[in-house]
Amino acid sequence: MKSYLKYISKHIILVIFLIVALIVLNIFVFIATFNGVVSKDYGDFSPKNMLSIVSENCSKASINDVGIQQLSANNIWAAFIDKEGKSTWTVNVPSDFPKKFSLNDVAIFSKGYLLDYPVFIETNKDGMIILGYPKDSYFKLTNNFFSTMALKKLPMFLLITLLVDCLFIFMIYYRSKKKIKRNIEPIMNGIESLSKGESTSVDVSGDLKDIADGINQASYIITHQNVARANWIAGVSHDIRTPLSIILGYSDRIKTAAIDDSHIRNYSEIIESNCIQIKHLVSDLNLVSMLEYDMQPLQIEEVRLSKLVRSFVADTLNRGLAEQYALNFEISNDAEPLSIECDSRLINRALSNLVNNCVKHNPDGCNIDITLSTQDEYIKLSVYDDGVGLSEEQRKELEKPHYMNALDDRLDLRHGLGTILVKQIVQAHHGRIETPVTEKGFKIELCFLLNS
Amino acid sequence: MDTYILSKKILIVDDEPELLELVKSILEEAGFSAIVTANTMQSAIETCSKSFPDLAILDVMLPDGDGFTLYNQIQSINSIPIIFLTAKDASDSKLTGLGLGADDYIVKPFLPQELVLRVSAVLRRCYKEEPSVLKLASCEIDFDRAEVIKGSEIIPLTAKEHMLLKTLADNSGKIVTLDNLCEALWGENPYGYENSLNAHVRRVREKIELNPSKPESLITIKGLGYRLSTRN
Repeated sequence: MKSYLKYISKHIILVIFLIVALIVLNIFVFIATFNGVVSKDYGDFSPKNMLSIVSENCSKASINDVGIQQLSANNIWAAFIDKEGKSTWTVNVPSDFPKKFSLNDVAIFSKGYLLDYPVFIETNKDGMIILGYPKDSYFKLTNNFFSTMALKKLPMFLLITLLVDCLFIFMIYYRSKKKIKRNIEPIMNGIESLSKGESTSVDVSGDLKDIADGINQASYIITHQNVARANWIAGVSHDIRTPLSIILGYSDRIKTAAIDDSHIRNYSEIIESNCIQIKHLVSDLNLVSMLEYDMQPLQIEEVRLSKLVRSFVADTLNRGLAEQYALNFEISNDAEPLSIECDSRLINRALSNLVNNCVKHNPDGCNIDITLSTQDEYIKLSVYDDGVGLSEEQRKELEKPHYMNALDDRLDLRHGLGTILVKQIVQAHHGRIETPVTEKGFKIELCFLLNS
Repeated sequence: MDTYILSKKILIVDDEPELLELVKSILEEAGFSAIVTANTMQSAIETCSKSFPDLAILDVMLPDGDGFTLYNQIQSINSIPIIFLTAKDASDSKLTGLGLGADDYIVKPFLPQELVLRVSAVLRRCYKEEPSVLKLASCEIDFDRAEVIKGSEIIPLTAKEHMLLKTLADNSGKIVTLDNLCEALWGENPYGYENSLNAHVRRVREKIELNPSKPESLITIKGLGYRLSTRN
């Protein structure tokens, strides 16, 4: 379920990765764009190179042809000014190039422009070489200066900025994740409840409100359907009861009537036994659906199980058990005083269903043992019969979901509704069911947690 | 069954004519002779005020109201025992919760024997035959006087002994659990009174049995409880 957090992390990390990738891409584009410019403007004909070429090819008085050729090829003018400010030689200089420069003139152009041409100078013992590059070829910063302190602080500044930026990005990542989690988590929990068929209520405001409303609506529909289904089953089982009473009553009339025909008597017995089956089915079905959809409020009270077992055994014996069955019970000394919080009617019903199962599966009779004992923090109620038991396949069938919960097409009765009811009753009491393999017959154990 | 019980007048109220007829014929078959029927709440009230039945069997769902309302109205005319006949599930909380003072309820579908047993049990409980003398194998018990009549001897019963015998006699022929007996004698939550119960049983046996070590009337059902076999 926490997979969505991983999903969010993945996406935020992806975004950060994309930002880095974009920066790298920008660097590449930058290099591609400026590669030519750099090699041209900062390469062989850069002011630095040209100054050294010119200085090699000239003296105070003149410049040789190699120098002139290089200058002309690159559309650069040049001049030499001696220490008195007079120009001794010039190459391709503009027409209004002065013959003499004052100290002020030199101070101004040495860092900038001369007659709007960007100029570069080199001084030697005789004077200075001036190179004039074409207008608009270079941009010169005429008044640049930096405080040494500022420059010294620059590396530290860059490092700290980088770290702070990283920290900031991480905080954004962390906060987004937390915020998303806060908003998404209730929604995910809601969806999880829905997937289990449980009702839920999601309270989220803000951008995700629509989703929350959708989930609440779905939950309402599921609850509504569950209630409708449980009511429908309750209604059907209610309506079946009266006609069933009449069938049962009149089949009994036929059975006890003074009719000589033994066949008819036999038929009426079959009708009666089948009616009794439907009677059990109807009441089991109703209770199963009530428990399934939480429509049956448990009437929880403190119950001493030993008392409940004795009362169940006495009731069963009082009602009369066919003679081929023997009902025994044993309550261990440590289980005798123990009580649990439960709905006694439901536990009684579970016991009765289990004993009915023993009877149903062993028409030739069997011993039925009810045992109440303790095991660790559990109190264990077990019903054992030494009858036919279950084959390996039947045991596997028991593990499969009941047809009420199964979605496949097999709507045959795998195992009785009575068993699923026992399961549900135990579940409603947060207990567990065990069916240990026995040498003979069948044993089922209902374990309930003792009150601490 | 006693003619005393069979002579009681029973009112059956159900809107289903076939079921009404069935219940009536089951009870007639069992020997009840005075049976009146009604199929609505209105006619049930009229019948009640005219013919004063001794017991009423009411369907919970009636066309002009529910059985619980009818119960209250009948009680206001004449306080008689009521058995509800219901198509609701036995585990329906409404039944036990709203059971009011109903004496019993029978869940549909029911077996005819079950109906007869419940009706006669309620009648026996509510209309005691006078004098209330219980015949046992070797004595008689007069509950009103709290005495055991053993041949020419008259032995008085203590309050607890009387209570013990009464509880067993009310369920005569049936096993009554240790828990129920203790509850009858000492009230709610009587855990741990088993030994006292044994002592009382021993003393009762001395009074009612010919040979207390080989009881014929007050039978021990090991681990479970006791049963009283009567000669009535």
